[in-house]
Amino acid sequence: MENDVFSFVLRNTLTEITNACPDIQSIFLFKEDGDIITGEERTIEEAAVHTVDALDEILEKAQALGGLENMSFEGTKGTVHVSALNGFYLVTVVPEKADMKSINTFTGILVPTVLKLLERITPALNRNCPSELENEESRVKPDVKPDESSEEIVDRHERGTADAEKVLPEPQVNQFIVENLRGLFASADTVRIDGDTLSQWTELYEDKRIEEAAIETFGGKSVRCKLKPLKDSKLEGKGIIQIPEKLQQTLDIKKGELVKVKPIIE
Amino acid sequence: MVKQKKNLEETASEVEPIAVEEVTCEDNLRPLLEEIKKSDGVVGYIQRNTTSAAIDLNDPTKVTDYAILSSSAFEAGEQLSALFDLGKIKNITVEGKDTKTLHLTIDENDISIFMEKTADTEKTLEKILEKSGF
Repeated sequence: MENDVFSFVLRNTLTEITNACPDIQSIFLFKEDGDIITGEERTIEEAAVHTVDALDEILEKAQALGGLENMSFEGTKGTVHVSALNGFYLVTVVPEKADMKSINTFTGILVPTVLKLLERITPALNRNCPSELENEESRVKPDVKPDESSEEIVDRHERGTADAEKVLPEPQVNQFIVENLRGLFASADTVRIDGDTLSQWTELYEDKRIEEAAIETFGGKSVRCKLKPLKDSKLEGKGIIQIPEKLQQTLDIKKGELVKVKPIIE
Repeated sequence: MVKQKKNLEETASEVEPIAVEEVTCEDNLRPLLEEIKKSDGVVGYIQRNTTSAAIDLNDPTKVTDYAILSSSAFEAGEQLSALFDLGKIKNITVEGKDTKTLHLTIDENDISIFMEKTADTEKTLEKILEKSGF
């Protein structure tokens, strides 16, 4: 609820900015955890998601510059501006001959002022308060739903465990956004997902070892591969799965696409 | 290298005062980047194309971080250009709390200039474009 108010105020602010500056093609805010607040209809949410994805690496690497303040990508037909504001990143897309003076006045003054006001007049809306974090947690975590298509039933007899009376739940299917997995030590048959999801699975399947997962694309291709937790803590909680490029080619997918991941319980 | 230059000079005096060696854009860029690096507040540069790369940074410990930052900037530029129809990316600026960077592509060469916060990005960009003939 509190978060809704926060988003509502920011959304209205962005809408008013676009009303005042018709040059703006697209404007939205996002947080480091990937949470996006868009303004009016001109900002297509999908484009915003892809923008966050495109900026993800550079935002991380900008730590080498002491943390990002501003960034701009100037093209022959338009420019994308990114500004860091009170824990948010404001993205503004403008055409080549936009009136940058008025746009900068609105975005550079109005948005920070609203953010500061929101924090000052409603401490309860502080983004770091526990209730807020709970909300965010539920939003960031990937959808968890039972695999309706799968007929797989856990065979108690095969497992031959002492707790043969217990029936393990059906393997869950989570959806993740594909991210490239690079590096000298990246194994071609290993994918990485966030540790929380792995812990959840371990809890759910009563401490069974989950070392492998089945990855299925929406195109119907699937592979079985090894599973490890993400190394980069900044990717945690974003619903990301890091997949080696060779494996992406096998699955005919690329960075930014969604895949279904089902733990293999052994 | 010196020997080669001498030979070229000799050839030039014997034949005609026309271009006797193939001057590539990369050959022109390197001295220009060296000159830029001497400017106030510039702490280094990275220049790379499909066949070679040159890195000159005051602080060698930053090489890896800056190299990744540079490639991330160009990669993000391409993605955003495709996403928002920005056309050809002319330049990218990334301003951090301590340092800022300028990225641009000149004739297949990806160039990243790293500067102190106080350096004049516009001036550096103008200088590069003017002297590289772009």
